[in-house]
Amino acid sequence: MIQDTVTDEVLLRKPKFIAFLFSIILLCFFIIDPSQSIMGELLEPALGDPEKSGIYGHFITSFMLSALLVLNLLAISFIPRFRFQVIVVWVQLLILFLSFFYSFDLSFVFIRSKIWFMITQGIFTTLYVSAISIVIASFIAIIGAIAKMSSNGFAFAIASFYTSFFRGLPLLMQVYLIYLGLPQIGYVIDAVPAGIIALSLCYGAYMTEIFRAGIMSIDAGQWEGSRALGFKFSLIMRKIILPQSIPLIIPPTGNQFIAMLKDSSLVSVIGVWELMFLARTLGNKTFNHMEMLITAAMLYWMMTMVLELIQSRIERKYQKRQSR
Amino acid sequence: MRLLKPVLGAVLVGLLLVSNANAGAVLDKIMSSKTIKIATDANWPPQSFINDKNEMDGFDVDVAREIAKRLDAKVEFITPSWDIITAGNWNGRWDMHVGSMTPTKQRAEVLAFPAVYYYTPAAVAVHKSSKISNVSGLNGKKVGTGTGTTFELYLQQSLTIDAEGAPKFDFQIDKPTIKSYETSVVALDDLRLGDGVRLDGVVSSLPVFLEAIENGYPIKVIGDPIFYEPLAVTIDLGDSELNSKVASIVSAMSSDGVLKKLSVKWYGVDYATVK
Repeated sequence: MIQDTVTDEVLLRKPKFIAFLFSIILLCFFIIDPSQSIMGELLEPALGDPEKSGIYGHFITSFMLSALLVLNLLAISFIPRFRFQVIVVWVQLLILFLSFFYSFDLSFVFIRSKIWFMITQGIFTTLYVSAISIVIASFIAIIGAIAKMSSNGFAFAIASFYTSFFRGLPLLMQVYLIYLGLPQIGYVIDAVPAGIIALSLCYGAYMTEIFRAGIMSIDAGQWEGSRALGFKFSLIMRKIILPQSIPLIIPPTGNQFIAMLKDSSLVSVIGVWELMFLARTLGNKTFNHMEMLITAAMLYWMMTMVLELIQSRIERKYQKRQSR
Repeated sequence: MRLLKPVLGAVLVGLLLVSNANAGAVLDKIMSSKTIKIATDANWPPQSFINDKNEMDGFDVDVAREIAKRLDAKVEFITPSWDIITAGNWNGRWDMHVGSMTPTKQRAEVLAFPAVYYYTPAAVAVHKSSKISNVSGLNGKKVGTGTGTTFELYLQQSLTIDAEGAPKFDFQIDKPTIKSYETSVVALDDLRLGDGVRLDGVVSSLPVFLEAIENGYPIKVIGDPIFYEPLAVTIDLGDSELNSKVASIVSAMSSDGVLKKLSVKWYGVDYATVK
């Protein structure tokens, strides 16, 4: 939102609002019944066995939890800097999240014994499949974008058919169609190339639209000027239009890469040993699949966090260049 | 529109020609390259799974290794999902499948079954706290199983087992609400949530249940096995030489006791001979 100097009174300073918030939270807690939770156990000396404390214990635990939550909100609202507020809330959410997983009673010994293999085999495969696919998809997208803007009916028809088809089918179905379909016309390809083809074609279709928008956003005067100078189409494209549109194209392409990283999990169905496949299979022998699923989830999350960081760096770089 | 039909016809004929082009050549390929690609599943302990050393292991995997050894070829495992294997038309992506597949009529249309190598009892499990004590107690209840499996066919009452020496069986569960999962292990995860929470029972192979119980799943097996499924080595259609070669290897493995030894190693019981 736009930062300005108009300030309202902070809601959390109004006693009425705090009371209202408190009663809402209390009601929510009362409905979900926290008396069996950690809070209930903490209050055991005062209330006795949580299972026997009845409606009274139920109410007291809800009351205590709501009071804690509201106090926490108040405390956060007194933190002076925006940045610190963000950090504190993040840390709290993370702790809550981890304790949620912790309550599953996971076998950390098992996770430790498998995590290295998940990184070297799983993350490695996921990353290289996605990286190759995004490069191919970018090439497809440039060609698709130019074809979609062309006045040639043939080129336009092919490009629009392509984008319509590949954006209209679920990616999982494309993976199956390519893996099972291509051999029917004599091309027997392995699982990894099939996965890469499916991801490239699908994301190429989405990125065609991104590239088209990027190219279209360049002022028509640039075209007219280059035409007036007698430049040919490919020269205009290479030297004048694309260099200006790339800064607009790269940030959303980064986003597509992050999305692809997660969608690459779909190629696990054709037997590629990437992260999702390992998450589903490694724990099966000892029935530890919850462990593996959560580990893989954390690994995916960490990967996307790192990529988002890089992504925001890139975005900032291009913004700076444009504002210069 | 009038053009469409002949064009489509020509394309289809072309497809058929291409897909039959390398029929009969699988055995030659194995012999000349000295490697055999064997498909199996990584999701079925104790038959086939990924072990502590992150390698394929299990009963099926051991049988596959033994067959490869007797073919004098190095084995390479690949792990496509079950429905892709059962769809047939492998086009030489892999040469053989050793993954506890039951020869059924439907599957025999797209695949060939050279030899049955063991029989597992299929059984019914319910949650520990369930009051159901016999198999027909699951009539009209929510029953989970793996998708594309014989257990699913059994629940749909459309299972016909097409192998010599397989014992007869009846369909004992009437009109269940079938819930199909990626594998039966996932169905067991739903069953463990509690009696009737998501499932009232699961149909799968007895060894899977025993393995789960050993790992602390709160389930119990009820009644006698509902059927014995013969489990066979599978190859693609069209290579009769490979078919007879595999058949003779498996019967040799059965007569010199290797199959029995492997069965005892993985299941603790001899499933390799018909009861």
